[in-house]
Amino acid sequence: MPVLVSKSLRDYRRSLAGWTVGITAFFALYLSFYPSITKDPELYGRAALAKFPGAMRDLMGGLEDFTSGIGYLHSLVYQLFGPMLFVVCAAILGNRALAQPEESGTLELTVTLPVDRRRLVFERFAALALGLLGLAVVTFLAVWVLSSAVDMNVAFDRILAGHTGILLLSLLFGTLALAVGAATGRRGIAMAVVGVVAVGGYVVESMGRNVDAIAWLRWISPFHYYLDGRPLYQGFPTGDYLVLAGATVVLLVTAILAFDRRDVGV
Amino acid sequence: MTAVVRTEGLTKFYGDRRGLEDLDLEIRPGEVFGYLGPNGAGKTTTIRLILDVIRPTRGRVTVLGTDPRDARVRGRIGYLPGELALEGRERARDYLAFLGGVRGGVSRERIGALAERLEADLSAPMGRLSKGNKQKVGLIQAFMHEPEFLILDEPTSGLDPLVQQEFLAMVREVRASGRTVLMSSHVLAEVENVSDRVGIVRAGRLVTVEDIAALREKAVRLVEFHFDAPVPREAFEGLAGVRDLRVEGASVRCTIDGRPDALVKAAARFTMVHMVCAEPDLEEIFLTYYSEEGEHHAGAGV
Ligand SMILES: Nc1ncnc2c1ncn2[C@@H]1O[C@H](COP(=O)(O)OP(=O)(O)OP(=O)(O)O)[C@@H](O)[C@H]1O
Ligand SMILES: [Mg+2]
Repeated sequence: MPVLVSKSLRDYRRSLAGWTVGITAFFALYLSFYPSITKDPELYGRAALAKFPGAMRDLMGGLEDFTSGIGYLHSLVYQLFGPMLFVVCAAILGNRALAQPEESGTLELTVTLPVDRRRLVFERFAALALGLLGLAVVTFLAVWVLSSAVDMNVAFDRILAGHTGILLLSLLFGTLALAVGAATGRRGIAMAVVGVVAVGGYVVESMGRNVDAIAWLRWISPFHYYLDGRPLYQGFPTGDYLVLAGATVVLLVTAILAFDRRDVGV
Repeated sequence: MTAVVRTEGLTKFYGDRRGLEDLDLEIRPGEVFGYLGPNGAGKTTTIRLILDVIRPTRGRVTVLGTDPRDARVRGRIGYLPGELALEGRERARDYLAFLGGVRGGVSRERIGALAERLEADLSAPMGRLSKGNKQKVGLIQAFMHEPEFLILDEPTSGLDPLVQQEFLAMVREVRASGRTVLMSSHVLAEVENVSDRVGIVRAGRLVTVEDIAALREKAVRLVEFHFDAPVPREAFEGLAGVRDLRVEGASVRCTIDGRPDALVKAAARFTMVHMVCAEPDLEEIFLTYYSEEGEHHAGAGV
């Protein structure tokens, strides 16, 4: 493994371990409620969910169905909480690639190493991708094992499809943070951009289904390419996932070109 | 031989703020070059331009014969940043191993030997190190891969006098092995004893470059002789380089400019009991360069 990648992963390891434990615990907690919910279909059935205001149901991804395993898993893990937790983690790691060390001053010595600036950005990206992959693999296994344990009856490949989507989505946002940091050197700006795109993107995608005025915005929302294909219900939305991956590549190239051009630490 | 650093019209503006303007500088192989100037003069700006951390607004710089954008050339340089940032839980030992690895490998013995020499603590988390101890880690990483060219931005800041002496000894060893050093400082005294030449920058402009040995020869020094009996004033009048002559009974006081030969020969005719010759005060000369008049002085004289 290139030395800058392994070094970055070593730097991320505490943070990554914390996120892995936290997200796994979060998923496990939600999945452990499932048996008690299936016991009480009256309370959580379709009719009960229909009582929530329409806009709120939209924001929660429809809340169509809580009592089937797939509906529960989708609503509580794959619709909102899973992607958002991953996105926040990815943005934090993306910021640690360049903007944070630049603000603290440690990047100065790094850019004077005999490593091309473009390679530096690429290797930091590789570390981000590997870190998120590790997080995704562990949480995927946790969801798979626990969902079988509570008899959710969700197929392995559907969980894999959902988790792959979360991974691609978070990698896109992590790369967005990295790219803004590479261009500006300011982690506050990078965090703000990720926050606006993530929250705005989610709202546009979830509300836009039923609000025609903003429906056209859905196609620029990253969440569209994850949620629209309903991976848990329909399996891999390959085309949409390729869009997410393509957008990540575009952001990475932007990051590399931007960082290669500018002054560091000014 | 090609210059280690050559800049032509090197200029850096931070927005409207001038960092450095029209710097023409050449650093020769094997020399120790002292780079002096008051706060905000442009020393760090120059160094960051040489290392491609920042990019020039105008002008050119070459290092070891190539463009500093070429990453490979940076492996032949050791760099101590002026504002060294070391943080986090990572131990200095691990960080140094990482830096050494990227630069093509540095043995643990070499790092250990340098740490012992500077009495650096490599096992504590770097974020907890005192300023001086961080500086030592910075020096180790700059010296450890035995680079052809060392760039040290205010290397002695935060070091106690004993460590400063050890550091200066390390610089002398680097020069003895034929390698080149650029070091910045605010005061001449820090670099005077190891530098071959010094350059002075002020407000973004290079004011002068001086050869230390030549300067020492030119420098004014105060001389005092005490004889066993009163001496005649005429014996010391009109000697080459002698000024501010004061003869009081058996003692003679004057300043001398350049070679002391004529004065010593004149004094040798009497019986001397005691003699004082002050070190030339180069700092004084340099302080004039730091001030506004220094610029005119430099323009007219040197
Ligand atoms: N990032 C920056 N943004 C704006 N101006 C800057 C920046 N860095 C340096 N400057 C300005 O450029 C000038 C030269 O600064 P530089 O840091 O090179 O000085 P220096 O000689 O290293 O000073 P010191 O002895 O205090 O370290 C100063 O006027 C400074 O204010
Ligand atoms: Mg400085």
